Parts: sequence; C-alpha cells; structure tokens
Amino acid sequence: MTELSAAIAPLPPIPQESTPDSDPQPQSPSDLQRAHLSGVWAFVLLECLIFSAYFVIYMLYRMHAPQDFSRDQAHLSPTFGLINTLLLLTSSWLVAQAVANARAGKFRSALYTTYATTGLGAVFVGSKLTEWGHEIHHGFTFLSSDFFSFYFFLTGIHIVHVLVGFIFLTIALVRLRGTEPALAALEAAAVYWHMVDLLWVIIFALLYVVR
Amino acid sequence: MTPPLAQTLAPQQPPSTFLARLGWQMHHNPKVDLWIAWGGMVIFYILFGVVFVMMTHVIPPPSPAWSTQRILSWFDTYRSGLLNGFAVTFLITGLSALCNALIGYSMSRMSVSKAFPIAYVILYSLSAIPGLLFCAILMSVAAMRPERDPQLIVWLYEGAMLTFVGTMGVFLLGTLVWLIAVLIDKNRVLPPWFGYLNICNLLTEVVVAPAWAARRGAFCWSGSIAFWVDTAIFAVYTTAFILVLRKMVQRENFGTGPLPD
Repeated sequence: MTELSAAIAPLPPIPQESTPDSDPQPQSPSDLQRAHLSGVWAFVLLECLIFSAYFVIYMLYRMHAPQDFSRDQAHLSPTFGLINTLLLLTSSWLVAQAVANARAGKFRSALYTTYATTGLGAVFVGSKLTEWGHEIHHGFTFLSSDFFSFYFFLTGIHIVHVLVGFIFLTIALVRLRGTEPALAALEAAAVYWHMVDLLWVIIFALLYVVR
Repeated sequence: MTPPLAQTLAPQQPPSTFLARLGWQMHHNPKVDLWIAWGGMVIFYILFGVVFVMMTHVIPPPSPAWSTQRILSWFDTYRSGLLNGFAVTFLITGLSALCNALIGYSMSRMSVSKAFPIAYVILYSLSAIPGLLFCAILMSVAAMRPERDPQLIVWLYEGAMLTFVGTMGVFLLGTLVWLIAVLIDKNRVLPPWFGYLNICNLLTEVVVAPAWAARRGAFCWSGSIAFWVDTAIFAVYTTAFILVLRKMVQRENFGTGPLPD
C-alpha cells in the first residue's frame, strides 16, 4: 500500500537549470502597469478601426476606377512588398519569442530578441524609403494619381506607426536592461508591434496583390 | 445641551431651490473654480459646433475643387450665417482659455515637471490663432463685401479653409505634451488609456498634412480621410477628455500624492 501511495504521489518539482540569464525573477505587474497594458489594447483596437476605415475608403475608390488602379499598381515592385512583409513577419515572431523568454525569466535572451525586432523594423523602414525613392525617381508621386495617393498615404502612415513602435520597443529595452526587469512594457510593445505587422499584411495585400 | 463638535463644524446643507443651491455652491464648494472651468469648456465646444456646423457651414467643409463661381455662390448663400456665426466665434474664443487652464491644471496635479502644463498652455493658446481666429477673420472679410474681386474672395476662402483644417504643428506638439504627461504620471490623475488615445489624436495631425497638396479626393481638406475620419477621431477624443476631466475634478482632493479613486 505504501508503495502504491508513493507511486501516485505528485512528483517533486524539477529543479530549474541554472542559466546565466535566468537570475532575475519576473516582477508581477502593478495595478498601474496593468492599466497601461489595458490602455495599449484599447489603443490598438481603435487604431485597427481607423485603418479599417482607410481600407474601406481605398476599396471604394478602387471600385470606381478599377482599370486606373490596376494600371498604376503594375508599377509597384512585388519583390519589395514581399521582402517587407517577410521582414515584419520575422520581427513579429522575434518579439513573441522575446515575451516568451521574459516570461520564462530569460531576460538576456529577451533583450537580444527585442534588439533584433527593432533592427528588422529599422531595415523595413529603410527598405520602404528605398522603394519610395524608386517610385519617385520614375515620376510617381503623391499627386500622380488616386492609386499613388493611397500608396504613399497608406505606406507613409504605416511607417509613422512603425516609428511609434520603436518608442514602445525602446521603453521595453530600457525596462529589460533595468535591475528589476518588468514584463508589462515588453508585452505592451509586443501587442503594438503585432498590430503594426497585421496592418502591413493587409496593406501589402491591398496595394500589391489584389487585382 | 450643546451639539457635538463635528456637527457644529459640518457644512450646512445646500438649500432646496436651484438658484439658492447654486449660490450656496459658489460660496462653499472648494472646487467651484474647477467646475467653472469644466463648464466653460463644455459650453465652448457646444457653441463651437453650433457656429461651425449650423451657422457658418464651414463644417463639413466645402470642396477645394470648386470653381470661382461656385465659391461666390456659396458665400451668397451663407453670408449672414458667416458674419453672425463668426461674430459669436470672436465672443466665445476666450472660453478656450478655460479649457486650456483645466488641462494645464490636470498636468500640474500629475507627478511631472511644471514645464508640461506651461508648455501645453502656451502651445494651445497659440493654436487658437491659426486654428480658429484666422479662419473666422478671413471668412468674415470675404463675406463682408460681395462686390470684392472674385479672385480675392477665392484667395480668402482657400486661406481660411487651409488654416482651419490644415493646422498641424501646434496641435500636434500640444497633444504630445499632454500624452507624455499622462503616460509618465504616477498620481493616476487621468487613466493611461486616455494617454494612448492622445496618440490617435496626434496622428490625425499627420493624416491631414496632404490637404495642403491635394485639391480633390480622399486627402483634400474636405476628403473622406483628411476630414471625415479625422473629425470622427477628434469627436471621440474631445468627448473622452471632457469626461475624464470631469472625473478628475470629482476625485480632486487638493493633495499632492496619487488621486483617490
């Protein structure tokens, strides 16, 4: 009987493997940090609503002149669009890894992956500006046509959101480098960065793919 | 038999009639100045809506693509509304100072530097000039003399609409100041979600920028994106800050630490 009891008794906890980057323990978020995270969620939902309005307006304009839009759309480089999409998808995956690492107490790994996220975001902005230069060099500007007005506007306002994302990521990096790393800032940055990624995927589909 | 000390020191109950109660509040309510500022702000936004939407018809804005003839005809139709409406505007512009003062007060109650409320009040006091008064002056001048050179009237019309819809810098920076103050505040004077809502309002100032170049379509000053989407966000933002400031006045305890819930 005692042998049976011993067999069904819960196993003792497995001791955590000590790793160089698992020393500090994650701090539970304070009420204020929770309020900030809720605020970021509300902000992200509102931004998605605003961008939805932009997308609906774009589709309405496109429905009125489908041939003009298709003609101008043919001047865009799908390769640029695809590279940018891959950059942002990878950065989104990295920031998710950063959150997972931070939740596991691996703050150093979280720090590196957050740096990598920011780096890919910077490459995205550089790539986008290069594409803009390419289009302008070929004579396509904001006032060239309705399609190019929407192209420069949607990609431009998205870049502004990426720049706002850098502020979120910078705050997360500062918190991760602190003596008592907090998760809330990184989670807020990740939520926002996923929104930036999601919006880009829709912009890519609307501007480069939809015919 | 003497009444207990607490009963002796307790404030008298307000009288029952409305005017007497108002007078009692003016003398006894320690937050009376804050409530006057809040009420002035609400009155300002209501009158602003009435004047710009119903009297002058500047909201929603007429199109920048109109011909000279169409613009002259628009002035003929709304001449009296423009002159009377903007006369009211000149009367009520001062109320915006109450709004700026209350927002400045909210920041002075936060755990942030005094530079924030000072910068905000300066920026938003300046913003009334390009965002409100220039438009009112140019439109009034154009409406005043119908016999004026048509090209001059078109110039005044375009100047008025661009300064009204396309004013960006001061509003952008003012919103940025308030947004930073709310987000770094530890006293919980205003909720963090409102700080993030400020980002949405700030971005409208970026979205409206193409109105300076586009004469038609979604991005011109009357366009679906540059005007309608931005105005919807501004309406949500304005309603939100009126409500959160009301809540702040209710919670104010004139202390220095975190504001009680």
